[in-house]
Amino acid sequence: MLKIVLETVGLTKRFGNVTPLDGIDMQVREGEWVAIMGPSGSGKTTMLNILSCLDTLSEGQYILDGIDTSKVSEKERVVVRREKIGLVFQQFHLVPYLTALENVMLAQYYHGMIDRDDAIEVLNRVGLSHRYDHLPSQLSGGEQQRVCIARALINQPAIILADEPTGNLDEANEQIILDFFKELHAEGRTIVLVTHNPELAEFADRTVRLHHGKVVQHAA
Amino acid sequence: MFLLMLRQSFFRGRRRKLLATSTIILAASLITALMTISIDVGDKMSREMKSYGANLNLVPKSENLPLEIGGVDYNPLKGEVFLEEQDLGKMKEIFWHNNIAGYAPFLKVPAKLEGKGGAAVPIIGTYFSRLVKFAGNEEFRTGVREINPFWRVKGNWPDDSKTDEVLAGATLARKLGLKVGDRLTVRYALAPTQPEAVTVAGILSTGGAEESALVAPLALAQRIYGHTGKVQSVSVSALTVPEDRLSRKARHGADALDSLEYDRWYCTAYVSSIAHQLEEAIPSAAARPIWQVAASEGTVVNKIQLLMVVVTIAAFIASGLGISSLMVTTIMERSREIGLMKALGAADWEVYLLFLSESALVGLIGGLIGCGAGALLAQLIGLSIFGATVSFHLIVIPVNVVISILIALAGSLVPSRLITRLFPAEVLHGRK
Ligand SMILES: Nc1ncnc2c1ncn2[C@@H]1O[C@H](COP(=O)(O)OP(=O)(O)O)[C@@H](O)[C@H]1O
Ligand SMILES: [Mg+2]
Repeated sequence: MLKIVLETVGLTKRFGNVTPLDGIDMQVREGEWVAIMGPSGSGKTTMLNILSCLDTLSEGQYILDGIDTSKVSEKERVVVRREKIGLVFQQFHLVPYLTALENVMLAQYYHGMIDRDDAIEVLNRVGLSHRYDHLPSQLSGGEQQRVCIARALINQPAIILADEPTGNLDEANEQIILDFFKELHAEGRTIVLVTHNPELAEFADRTVRLHHGKVVQHAA
Repeated sequence: MFLLMLRQSFFRGRRRKLLATSTIILAASLITALMTISIDVGDKMSREMKSYGANLNLVPKSENLPLEIGGVDYNPLKGEVFLEEQDLGKMKEIFWHNNIAGYAPFLKVPAKLEGKGGAAVPIIGTYFSRLVKFAGNEEFRTGVREINPFWRVKGNWPDDSKTDEVLAGATLARKLGLKVGDRLTVRYALAPTQPEAVTVAGILSTGGAEESALVAPLALAQRIYGHTGKVQSVSVSALTVPEDRLSRKARHGADALDSLEYDRWYCTAYVSSIAHQLEEAIPSAAARPIWQVAASEGTVVNKIQLLMVVVTIAAFIASGLGISSLMVTTIMERSREIGLMKALGAADWEVYLLFLSESALVGLIGGLIGCGAGALLAQLIGLSIFGATVSFHLIVIPVNVVISILIALAGSLVPSRLITRLFPAEVLHGRK
């Protein structure tokens, strides 16, 4: 059996009297690709925020790579975030005044060490070898998302978390991004991907369906 | 990497940064101008105060005996002892000779008019504006026009070198119906002497006793009086530093000071030490400070400096608030970027550092430009208020740059707390 990278036990999140997540039990093993699906408002983003340590949970436990994140301080959560997690956003979120290369290097910087060659290599991998010096505004949506993926990969995170990574892309670009995820999966990376696109979920090892904050189905 | 980010992000949001920089420039130039002026103001004000009259009176020593009883002067020698006109140049040879801004001798002659019912008219002889030689061949322009710039003349000022032109005091002119151009004959009132024909060159307003007299060139007054080369008193306008403890102690006489204090007092331009030195230069004279003038000079300078401090603080606060609100919008606008940095694992202080460094940079640039602008402003103010350029002190530059950076940082500090309260989860996956 492979090592469990991520595990939640009775994970619950409340905002006032709204409970977007209500007792989620989930496990993700090393090298697994898990898709989280569900209708709008079912709690997918809230879930991912907690998994990526951007938000705290109200009840339950969340253990990431052996660390019980519900028990650590805010400062330590920052550390967990930069050591263990690679984030891919629907809206890319690149720093607008930094070039593609610099955006990748920024993640290295906060992680601790800048290695320009490394950053270039990762950009080459996502097929942007000719666009290091372009600003995000000079890149297409698909290219921006590839920079975003490069940034998520650069620090060799324990897990890659993506929230609707293709939500803002056209089909051609969606396909390119999908291919990347397949490639990463083939490499043995652990991936949790939120989407409401069934085609994308198809390639995952497993799909977790959320409905009104509860897991309704674990599909193979 | 940090420097790279700082460099790149610094040129973002230029419009707002320009605004912030201009805010700082404004404040910095104001502060520079005020600082420059207030460093210079003691001297400038002191010169300016001279336009409100002399601050020292030189009289013959024997006349200095206090013989006033109940406001009536019983000194039998009053007006009968004199100073030598030729001694006056010695005033420009004392240690503080550069601080003697001007002087005017006075000789008051009891005279009356020939005709017009023989009305009694005192004649005051003085220098209007005369080139005086001293210490061999140095020249110095002095007289009532130099020390009393507030004296107003309708018509013309008489020429010191002529002895047939006078000014008629405004009160006297009204009483006797004198006009510019009138010819009068005057003579000494107490003994029959040669009458003198004079022309009224102008009508004089001073707000003082001169308004009830004829004011004549000294030489004319001396001739009518029959006392060539004599003067009764001299008004001296000296640039002085405000009174302080040492100078007040010295008022009890120079003996009250020990030798160290004496040296310090002697080498400071107090009105009392200048008086002391004038007496040393002209032994037959007693120099009496006019304390009200001397004291008010000090208070006015202090008040102006206080005012400058207040305005500086106000500028500081106002621009700090301006920066503050600009910073709030900046943080709002760049909230995604901040959220992203945090999501990538940046600690709060790292984000602070970026924003505060940007502010400090804005402060630095604004401060430097403000220094330049302020120096110009100071000159403008100096020229329009004091009619003189203001000397620029280099110390103003570092002080100002530091103040500007402080303003920028202080203004940014409060809003940058927003950074802490900014949760990446909220800005990065905002409701779509
Ligand atoms: N910060 C918040 N405050 C209050 N309610 C929230 C907050 N974030 C999410 N919710 C609520 O939680 C529910 C789930 O939201 P979300 O996780 O964004 O769903 P999804 O991403 O699946 O569309 C929604 O009903 C939403 O209104
Ligand atoms: Mg969502």
